[in-house]
Amino acid sequence: MSTVNVVHTKERLSGIVQLVGRRPNDVPKRRWESVLVFAFFTVAYSWFGYWVVVDLHVVGFETLDRLNRALMVWHNDPAKLSAIGFDYPPLATLLITPLAVVRSFVTSMAAVPVASAIFAAITMVAFNTMMRRALVAGPLRYALLLALGCNPLLLLYATTGTRHFVWIAFVITALGSLFAWYITADVRWVLLAGISYSVAALAGYSSLTLFVLSAIMVGAILARLGADGVEVEGTVVGFTAPTVYVVALWTVFNFILLWNPFAWITNSSDAAASGGLEMFSAVDLMKATGELVLYGAPLAIVVLPMLIFSGLARGNPFALWLGVMLGASILTPALAVAFRLTDSPMLMRNALPMLLIAVVGAIWLARSAEEGSTLVAGLTVVALVISIPWTLHAMKTYRYQNLEAPFAVAITTGESQEGAETLNGDKVGIVSEQAMAEYIRNNVTSDNSILTDNAQTYAVMMLTGHPEWFFDRVDKSDGPWKEVARDPAGQVDYMLIDTMDNGDLLTKLYPDAAAGNDPQLQAVYKTPRYVLVNVPANYSPNLVTTQDQIQGQPTTDQGSGGS
Amino acid sequence: MTSTTPATASTEVRRGARLTDGVDQDLRYLIPEGICRTFRVMPYAAIDGTVLVAAADADDTITAHVVAERIDRPVRLVRHTVNEITAAIDSVYPPQGTEVETPEARRARMQMAQMLTRSGLITDEQLQRAMLEYSRTGDPLGDILVSHEAITEDTLVAALSEMYQMQRVGLSEFTPDMEVARRLPEPLALAFQAVPVAATEDLVLLAVARPLGAEQAAEVEDALGSPFRQLLANRAELDQLIQRVHSRHYAEVSTRLLMETRPEESAHIVISGGQKAGLVILAIIIVVCGVIWPWPTAIGLVGFCSFLYLVVTFYKVRLTMQALGTHLETDVTDEEIATLDERYLPMYTILVPLYKEAAIVPRLVRDINALDYPRTRLDVKLLCEEDDQETVNRIREMQLPPHFHLVVVPDSQPKTKPKACNYGLQLATGELTVIFDAEDRPDPDQLKKAVIAFTRVHENVVCVQAKLNHFNQDQNLLTAWFANEYSMHFELILPAMGAAGAPIPLGGTSNHFITEKLRDLGAWDPFNVTEDADLGIRLHREGYRTAMIDSTTLEEANSQVPNWIRQRSRWNKGYIQTWLVHMRHPMQLLAATGMRDFLKFNLTMLTAFVLLLNPIFWGLTTLYVFTQAGFIEQLFPGIIFYVASALLFIGNFIFVYLNVAGSLQRGEFSLTRTALISPLYWGLMSWAAWKGFIQLFTNPFYWEKTTHGLDDGSASS
Repeated sequence: MSTVNVVHTKERLSGIVQLVGRRPNDVPKRRWESVLVFAFFTVAYSWFGYWVVVDLHVVGFETLDRLNRALMVWHNDPAKLSAIGFDYPPLATLLITPLAVVRSFVTSMAAVPVASAIFAAITMVAFNTMMRRALVAGPLRYALLLALGCNPLLLLYATTGTRHFVWIAFVITALGSLFAWYITADVRWVLLAGISYSVAALAGYSSLTLFVLSAIMVGAILARLGADGVEVEGTVVGFTAPTVYVVALWTVFNFILLWNPFAWITNSSDAAASGGLEMFSAVDLMKATGELVLYGAPLAIVVLPMLIFSGLARGNPFALWLGVMLGASILTPALAVAFRLTDSPMLMRNALPMLLIAVVGAIWLARSAEEGSTLVAGLTVVALVISIPWTLHAMKTYRYQNLEAPFAVAITTGESQEGAETLNGDKVGIVSEQAMAEYIRNNVTSDNSILTDNAQTYAVMMLTGHPEWFFDRVDKSDGPWKEVARDPAGQVDYMLIDTMDNGDLLTKLYPDAAAGNDPQLQAVYKTPRYVLVNVPANYSPNLVTTQDQIQGQPTTDQGSGGS
Repeated sequence: MTSTTPATASTEVRRGARLTDGVDQDLRYLIPEGICRTFRVMPYAAIDGTVLVAAADADDTITAHVVAERIDRPVRLVRHTVNEITAAIDSVYPPQGTEVETPEARRARMQMAQMLTRSGLITDEQLQRAMLEYSRTGDPLGDILVSHEAITEDTLVAALSEMYQMQRVGLSEFTPDMEVARRLPEPLALAFQAVPVAATEDLVLLAVARPLGAEQAAEVEDALGSPFRQLLANRAELDQLIQRVHSRHYAEVSTRLLMETRPEESAHIVISGGQKAGLVILAIIIVVCGVIWPWPTAIGLVGFCSFLYLVVTFYKVRLTMQALGTHLETDVTDEEIATLDERYLPMYTILVPLYKEAAIVPRLVRDINALDYPRTRLDVKLLCEEDDQETVNRIREMQLPPHFHLVVVPDSQPKTKPKACNYGLQLATGELTVIFDAEDRPDPDQLKKAVIAFTRVHENVVCVQAKLNHFNQDQNLLTAWFANEYSMHFELILPAMGAAGAPIPLGGTSNHFITEKLRDLGAWDPFNVTEDADLGIRLHREGYRTAMIDSTTLEEANSQVPNWIRQRSRWNKGYIQTWLVHMRHPMQLLAATGMRDFLKFNLTMLTAFVLLLNPIFWGLTTLYVFTQAGFIEQLFPGIIFYVASALLFIGNFIFVYLNVAGSLQRGEFSLTRTALISPLYWGLMSWAAWKGFIQLFTNPFYWEKTTHGLDDGSASS
């Protein structure tokens, strides 16, 4: 047996590139400032969002769907964690479930803006901390945060409850951690970045591209600094382990529950295509990409070449890496179209990560400029301020979008957008859902008494605040639900049907009832989008649809409007 | 090193450079004060690139050598008078109180040096090294020479006897008359290192390690009640004699002190009457409920256990996140250690319990001698059991210098490490005390870091805990897992607990105490098999705190599963024992610690219970995966299911990742891979936990001895 060679701490650490076991040379913690930034943006975005959502009726139905699922997690009969489903990345819903503990917070729709405001505020805290590390002076920091925070594109996604800021917040936090790691060489930041990315991965699958690039960067920078293979491997393992674990776990869940381990990729709303994508030539894609950057993230046009120049000409590897990250975020929408991974090409929301990564790049450039850092930070503020009217104008006319145009009109005119149409032709507004929910709240209060396809009627369910009143596809899974759907008599008292032809399984089974023409299934209440029909105890269905025809997808409408 | 040339002052006077003109501002601090005073030198001018150094003895080769080593330019020693040089030194380094060596002390030192060099007992090189150490510490030159084994203690005693014209006495074969020997009370005997060896009606012959001062002599005379005459003795022999004379007292105190002075804090009773009654009532309630409402009772138990898991997980994650976000250890820099004034270093007692570890002793001695701390300020107690003659003999054969003290603990029950430490603590002469295990390899600067840390922390901090880790982490998978676990515990969890002022279960070794406070606390509980954890909690209850320092002691990780299980089962038994002791009177604990620390204590100790629960939940999960058994679904309704799921899928990974994080935090990058498969290690932990739990009822005080030396084949148990 060989004798162990004992190496004491100092000797052991002498060959390590990163800082371990020593106090890093970092800016002092200023928790109160982070708390203030967080509180300010959470309150501001929530307040602004409440006005936009509740008063101006600019609301994305995807948010209502997630909030309905969150309600089901707590209040369904039985309460079911599986309500979060597989349609969205799981944390996009799971992280907002605390908002649904109190029903009235959801039914009043106050929870809608908060669902995104919190994450947007986290993003702002990450930016503020990054700027502190970049030694940007206080007033300039706050000016930059305000200029960025008032960007209309960011404002839309920060205030209307959308899920995009959920993953973006954690990606920016991860970038902030890597930013700190590069400055301090403290290995702990790599771990925090790894944890942030793992949350981001399950909140938005798009973040995985940035995660892979970051992992490569961590390894490459360590190798460049002279770290040995063990240090590079150990650090990269520490960085990647959380994300690899959560992705593997989610894959196993998909396999166990859906018999398709990669359903989260192939079926998800983040990366799924039904084949209905319009054709883009390479020139079209280049042009669309250019427009996207120009209108959504014009700052990137300046920052990207500067990052690459700084990285290559000045030997600034972190700048180069940020340039690669920014480049990747710019190319991702076009690549998604080229590989036909999306039904929603070149959406304006794709400019959001570009804009935010461009800001990270600008902050890094400010830090790298040393004496000129104030100038760079100041110019960034100016650029962000100038881009506000520019982007706001573009939002009204840009071709590929969700709620951008109604939002822009709403905040410039202060008028409700109820009934307005998006540029995609979707209807905006929730009056129909509110009316149906109001009726149900006043007239139906028995548990599991309303049969409904929750994939289509989630907005009504959410607005009632009582998912336990509905016999939906989550309660006992699809199989039992379909049995009841084929023979509802004696099992439910009502059926809530989406009258628009958009995949409601009950509409397929009972088209006459949906149209109000079924003499046995009398409508007890009707709105332009929904009908609530009574199911008599002696009802005998005369189905026009076979079992095969109701093998519907549980996917919800990912469109912007309520139609 | 540069060359030195002696010159006379008159030559330089002619060239216009005189010490009396003043000392060049750029040169005044070229040589540290200690060296200036010891060798009577002072750099004062530079001419043509040569530094002129005033020296009382410009022809002394040792002085020339020492000066040249410290100045990176050509040096010329220029003879000056002692008064001129002393005045110059005083102007540069103003003397403060007792710092400056008295003329008598200097004469004695020079006499000793001359006596030893002229008789050829030491070389110039040995003298130079000793003089340099003297210049840093001010400790007696003879003691320094003995500590570095340049001369033997007997030689030194002979020299002192000559200098002080005192008789010597040999004690190696001496059989004391106990009545006479105990005439000097034990505290004085220990403090003055003196034992009466013979007595007549009007005179006591007193063996002393060093001549007593006037005040000490008066105190001794008062205690003896008669005049006495001092006889110089070998320190090691005298130390052994003191132990023999007072061993009964030491043994009694080491076993019974805590039990008698603080019976409620002693683990000599495993479960108190109240606790027994409480547990029986609880068991009856559960059984009755189980019979009347079987499912709700089962669900309630599952819910309670899940909640337990959840809060422990949350607590550990919170601690880890705190530690990841910042650097929570008390910081001591290399520069601070380098500039530490060794004259003010306290005497440091190192307790090293040994049992059947004769093979390790040479390595142990080497590692302790490698510590960056003056050996003359070390008081190393090698604590052996009486029935372990092999180790005792090995130590005797090595004839170690007197800073190593062989302490033989009389054979009695309980034969535990804490009892041996208690025994050694009574003989401790250090202001600070630390425990190291025989196989420990502390960072060389750990003692100095602890000394500096104590000057920096809040005054209620009485213990500074260094980090523990393993030197044989690469030996096999088990040692790698062990290193992962230690990295997490000592790099993340404990620093966060220390920073938060939470009750810290101390590590088994490398905890540095203020000796006086440790004694006040009743030292270690000899009946507790994790006496370290218990002491950490007790000191917290008394309002004291523990701080962490960024210094590591490397231990040997258990590399064999049976041996590992033995060690770990003892730890788990001890944790439960400690929890039971401190929860005898929960309200008293709550009053002593406050709600926050009361909860933290329980959360820390609950870890042992979580390990017991693990196999049950793993079993249920496995059974469900393979059988989809309905009763398991029924056991986890609603919120309990959410909690259990979160713990299964997130909590488990978090603990895996904490191991990864701990290893990275420590800079052990090669261990991250093994950390990822640490759940297999948890199985072993639960096995050991159950073994310890069962042993708590069958053999509560049994000390599962760990075999050491498995890393290099020198295994001993």
